[in-house]
Amino acid sequence: MVKEIEVEPVTRLEGHGGLRIVLGDDGKVKDAQFNITSTRFFEKFVEGRYCEHVPRITPRICGICPIPHHLTPTKAVEDAWGVEIPTPALKLRKLLINAKQYSSHLLHFYALAAPDFLLGPMADPALRNVVHVINKMPEVGVMALKMMDFGQKLCAEIGGKSVHPISAIVGGMKKPMDEDARDRFLKQVDEQIEFTKKTVDIGLKVVEDYWDVIANVGVVPTYYLGMTKNGVHDIYEGDIRIVTPDGKKIDYDVHKYLDALGEHIPAHSYATHMYYKPAGYPEGIYRANCLAMTNAADKMATPLADAALKAMKEKIGEVSHHTFAYHWARLIETVESIELIKELLEDPDICNPDCKTLDVEPREGQGIGVTEAPRGLLLYHIWSDAEGICKKLNLLVATNHNIAGIEKSLMHTAKQVFEDKALEGLKLPEPWIK
Amino acid sequence: MPVKVAFWQNSDCWGCHQSLLNAHLGLVPILPELEIVYWPAVIDYKYESLEARQDGEILVGFVEGSLRTKEDIEGTKLMRQKCQLIINFGSCSCYGNVHGLANEWDIQEVINRKFVQAESITDESPKEPYEHVPGFESKIIPVAELIKVDVSIPGCPPKPEAIISAVQFLLGQKGFPQNEKPFCTDCPLNESGCILDAGKVCFGPVTSVGCSLKCPSKGDPCVGCFGPSKTVANRAEKLKTLTRNLSSVSSGEKKSAYEFLSLFLSVPLMAGFELSADILKQIKLKGEAQTPIGGLPSVTTDIATNLLGYLREHRDFHEISNVCDTCPRIRGRMKMDKVKRDYQGLPNQEDCFIEQGYICMGPVTKAGCGGLCIRVNAPCTGCYGQTIPGVNQAERYADTVIKGFNVGLSKDQLLAQVKDPIGTFEKFTLAENKKFRGGA
Repeated sequence: MVKEIEVEPVTRLEGHGGLRIVLGDDGKVKDAQFNITSTRFFEKFVEGRYCEHVPRITPRICGICPIPHHLTPTKAVEDAWGVEIPTPALKLRKLLINAKQYSSHLLHFYALAAPDFLLGPMADPALRNVVHVINKMPEVGVMALKMMDFGQKLCAEIGGKSVHPISAIVGGMKKPMDEDARDRFLKQVDEQIEFTKKTVDIGLKVVEDYWDVIANVGVVPTYYLGMTKNGVHDIYEGDIRIVTPDGKKIDYDVHKYLDALGEHIPAHSYATHMYYKPAGYPEGIYRANCLAMTNAADKMATPLADAALKAMKEKIGEVSHHTFAYHWARLIETVESIELIKELLEDPDICNPDCKTLDVEPREGQGIGVTEAPRGLLLYHIWSDAEGICKKLNLLVATNHNIAGIEKSLMHTAKQVFEDKALEGLKLPEPWIK
Repeated sequence: MPVKVAFWQNSDCWGCHQSLLNAHLGLVPILPELEIVYWPAVIDYKYESLEARQDGEILVGFVEGSLRTKEDIEGTKLMRQKCQLIINFGSCSCYGNVHGLANEWDIQEVINRKFVQAESITDESPKEPYEHVPGFESKIIPVAELIKVDVSIPGCPPKPEAIISAVQFLLGQKGFPQNEKPFCTDCPLNESGCILDAGKVCFGPVTSVGCSLKCPSKGDPCVGCFGPSKTVANRAEKLKTLTRNLSSVSSGEKKSAYEFLSLFLSVPLMAGFELSADILKQIKLKGEAQTPIGGLPSVTTDIATNLLGYLREHRDFHEISNVCDTCPRIRGRMKMDKVKRDYQGLPNQEDCFIEQGYICMGPVTKAGCGGLCIRVNAPCTGCYGQTIPGVNQAERYADTVIKGFNVGLSKDQLLAQVKDPIGTFEKFTLAENKKFRGGA
């Protein structure tokens, strides 16, 4: 008898989806699907809008990562119209996107992922959530809340709103940072660096505890999609970098993205499946997000993060296929973001009123903007007419990049669980809290 | 007893939930009072667990997101069945949000752009996904057109304060201390010159003493800053009579009533938290949750109920308060003589955007946000929804700004310079516009 195992909905996920694993009567895994059950068609309804208003609409694609969805289309329009932005605007945007990276990664670690690690995967579903973590480990909980609060408040200060920011405009930024606000955040930043170090300690303890799981479950070779600036980890600007399963790194100028990235429309999901075009589908399935970024990067942009990257690569290799190492890579990126936040807050340019090019003119053409959003590469390809009206948009978001890779590792893990009974021999730690 | 609460997500971005989590430490006093029985964003309960609940078992259901898929429709109906009160949570459920812009096209055209025509697609004959996916509604409608809604909290996203206020209100956790005596006791106009005696609205008889009495010393009425008092003054009956027929009072008095109501419910701005009157009755009848209404003098309760009743029947009550009310920019120094696009130049941070030539939706948008966009030098685009729904929004905008602002353009001239009227005037609310919904 064919048996279907459904998980509906997948929880602690920003989006809508269910998992479906199909087992044959021989007990073999026949299929593993990740069904994304909603989509809203931003690609279509930005047509006819002013190009400069697209960045005021598209942040609504993602409430956790609205900042990349604000900055990336702005970059795409600037590319299409041939607009340069002043250096203070560039620095403000980098500060903004790193503030988002910081709060989003911490939300992911503490609110979405940590409940599994701290309570253990077998805990009562009613308790396996961040609310319970806060109640049971108030010290860690309050620290986590203070960190997310810092990141979100910094986003709100520069972006105007932390959820769905509005301060970037084609040509730069609407306003520099106020000096008194800058001073306020500078005062807190050293404490935040200490908190980040403590978070890394918690993360490393989890790595140690769950080493058996990390090293043995969901180790799935795929391609990876990242972004670097001359090989250095960068989330605001750079080239697309593909990493092959055997560790070869191939760079593509963002304007050549169609040479590298193909999109397959599956029958069972509204999130489409991206893959590495030269390798074909499904062989070219890749994964994106933090582990892909650390696999792609030769080095991190800041000293503490770079040391952490080296330590991870020593333990799990230059290119890691360990799905559970995503949590580790995420913490390395968190360290880099807080270091960059400090560096940028100390830069007087962020308060410089010369933050907008004044003589911006629309022109007919296409433009491409790319950033690394907290869950993967984000690409906007926009077509403008001579009056600056948006004619068309092609949009590649993190979910598209990840979903085929998630299915691949789901299939692999389902086989391990149902066919090889691999979990039975696994060493799981005692839960930190119950 | 903790109150049972459920959160339902329709097609959305997660931003309303992020906004709620942004309250961070503000959540700490509230969470123990809630028994969250469904919240996929944060908690591991599955759909069957919601289906298995008895009808009406959950006190409060937050419905968030737009009605894009057939699954959204089913889930929203299920929530109505399981919850006593439904809160429209965010501008998606209130107005459809930007997703409603898709109503401009036939759904098949919309679907094809994404699943057939996208430049990166490599399949030879790609088609819309069909397996284990729910399918799409042809047009997006606001949630209140599908089910009865009790409370609306607009905003994209709503401010954390507004969400916390709503929850605290439902839990009966009040923000202010309650004094024994009413304001009238200390009022300098008590003996002569009383505003109520002159037949005008003043909330002194039901408001706590304790303020510096600035309002009456300037001849202005009390709007209830210090919250309801435990005992009321004799003139409370007079006030009650006046609030029974608010239609006949001046707009200034309506504004006082509006301010009173927002303070009374400990909500920063009423527009950020709309209530229908019978929600209070429902909670009172059930007796399951204490509300600010509980334990107050009955005349105070009656007055608030009158105001809420008026609010429910008169959407123009909201019109009293718009984004310009919280905007610090100066009017009257500059003049719009040409409509500018946002990429042109850079507005100064002191003068009104409109008078500098930029389209700002402030004067036609409900207040409640506190002017966040304006603070970073970006004009309002209207995410809290229009103060008057169901009218020609482009024309209404032009009429409003020509009447109230320094604008050197005729209505036709102004509108002719806006090349994208839908995206400019109805970005967040097109789903409300029946003209784009055809026979749907």
